[in-house]
Amino acid sequence: MSAVRGEGTPWRAALPFARIGFLNMLAFRARYYVGVLTYLFNVAVYYFIWRAVFRQGGSVAGMTLEDMVTYVAVGWAIRSFYFNEIDRELGTQVQEGKLAMNLIRPVDFQTVMIADAAGQSAFRAVLFTIPIAIVLALVFPLKPPASPLAALLFLVSATLSFFLVAALNFLVGLVAIRSKSILGILRAKYLVFELLSGLLIPTTLFPQPLRSILFASPFPHINFTPAALYLGQAAGTRALGLLALQAGWTAGLLALGQYAWRRSRRRITIQGG
Amino acid sequence: MTEPIVRVERLTKVFRSYRREEGLRAALKSLVRRKSSEVAAVADVTFTIGRGEMVGYIGANGAGKSTTIKMLTGILTPTSGDVVGNGFVPWRDRTRYVATIGVVFGQRTQLWWDIAVVESFRLLKEIYGLSEAEYRERMALFDKVLGLGAYLHQPVRKLSLGERMRCDLAASLLHRPPLLFLDEPTIGLDIVAKANVREFLEEINRQEGTTVLLTTHDLADIETLCRRVIVIDHGKLLFDGALDELRDRILPITSIVFDVKRAPDARDLEWNGRPIREVGLHRYRLDLDRREAAPATAVKEIVNRFDVSDLKIEEPEIEAVVKRIYQEGIS
Repeated sequence: MSAVRGEGTPWRAALPFARIGFLNMLAFRARYYVGVLTYLFNVAVYYFIWRAVFRQGGSVAGMTLEDMVTYVAVGWAIRSFYFNEIDRELGTQVQEGKLAMNLIRPVDFQTVMIADAAGQSAFRAVLFTIPIAIVLALVFPLKPPASPLAALLFLVSATLSFFLVAALNFLVGLVAIRSKSILGILRAKYLVFELLSGLLIPTTLFPQPLRSILFASPFPHINFTPAALYLGQAAGTRALGLLALQAGWTAGLLALGQYAWRRSRRRITIQGG
Repeated sequence: MTEPIVRVERLTKVFRSYRREEGLRAALKSLVRRKSSEVAAVADVTFTIGRGEMVGYIGANGAGKSTTIKMLTGILTPTSGDVVGNGFVPWRDRTRYVATIGVVFGQRTQLWWDIAVVESFRLLKEIYGLSEAEYRERMALFDKVLGLGAYLHQPVRKLSLGERMRCDLAASLLHRPPLLFLDEPTIGLDIVAKANVREFLEEINRQEGTTVLLTTHDLADIETLCRRVIVIDHGKLLFDGALDELRDRILPITSIVFDVKRAPDARDLEWNGRPIREVGLHRYRLDLDRREAAPATAVKEIVNRFDVSDLKIEEPEIEAVVKRIYQEGIS
């Protein structure tokens, strides 16, 4: 009965890891009630900043105050979903020698890490993102999705954001194998991601040529793309194009992660033991 | 030897380590260029393991045991050399290979810390793609032999080390692997728990023909389980053969200790060129080299020569053998 599982059928074998991720989150649920407040606070800060900016009314880069507040709120809500710590987890596993335990299982390593994070995100979606969205909608004057189609595209795009962030974090985590200390890198990463992803400022507000450079990178697809689709800023073929670009970056970075993992494996030194 | 299940050829792993130097200047300099040195944790090791064998892999701390196991289980990629296990190259065909092996690291658990043991097993069932029937049959066996049922519903963190080790052993064998690697499976266990683990391994080896390679510091593990030992030191293979042969080569001394009723004649206190020493009241000892004379011949002669009231033969302890190897190596 030797159950041979290769790279051929990773996702079925990956489901248990997603379940573990979900189960493990249950242990830390208290943290998330506090988390809801943190997100509310963050959105509040940007709400007041933008209200000051829009005091004279009008619009900035085609966005009204209501658009802007919705953009910020949607951004933080999906961040609560796509957020994961694959990079930190990978770093810890290398540091504590736990990586070995994942390597003795017949499932591709990148798949294991992303499946685990997916389980956590599924948990977040239910116990975190939805409560946050409800609280934000009650407190701030938010717009609904531009159309049913926009809502659908937004959901697809937010899901892709999860895989895009997961792919990026996996790559960042691989740096840990080389450096064996990752905290500095992680701190820098959060700043860079929050700024470049369009979470703090819509990417369209960046001056040229920075804006063009950003749109040629994967970062705006983390946050700007789903939020823009929600607001209907891109519609029709432009929306589909944006989505395709996001999917392309995600697939590309996942593949790059596979490649980098294979290269890094040669230099793994499992510490301890 | 039976058909080989593991073939290791000229296996070498070189680690590069960076030296930290003292002082600010050196620290700044190290930002630009770090001094590194290369250490061969495993150097040019060659051996094969036959199907159904239980082999002990021993050596002092830092001898390269764990590094070897990690290469054999596909965790580490060797610097050079070849390994074929179950027909796979471990680090190249990792996912397919590890589906056919079991691995236990005594210092860690492969179970999930915060969830009930049974949940971990259910997940492993999914990961290895076992059917419900296969899974139930397996769990029934583990319950019978290891008594798993008693703590299946506790989280791993609440188990004692002995209980945890039983769970880890069961987990590593859930998918019926023909090949099992154990890195210090009895470390930290009490005597009863150690005996349990050994009995279970013997049972699995006998019933399912599982091939086992185990590293240990507890030589009783080796004595009860392994007819064959491989000794490694400073990364190099020192000895590969039967346990008895190792004993013969390192400490070929057998002692015959006997008590006499009457004080013997001083001229009789010598046999085959070896002195018979007085070691207590009416107690004498002959240390003899097994390569020169068979202990049985000496015993016969002693009984003839003296008025013996009691006699026993002492073989060197495996501990003494290994201590000697660790200190002096094998000449």
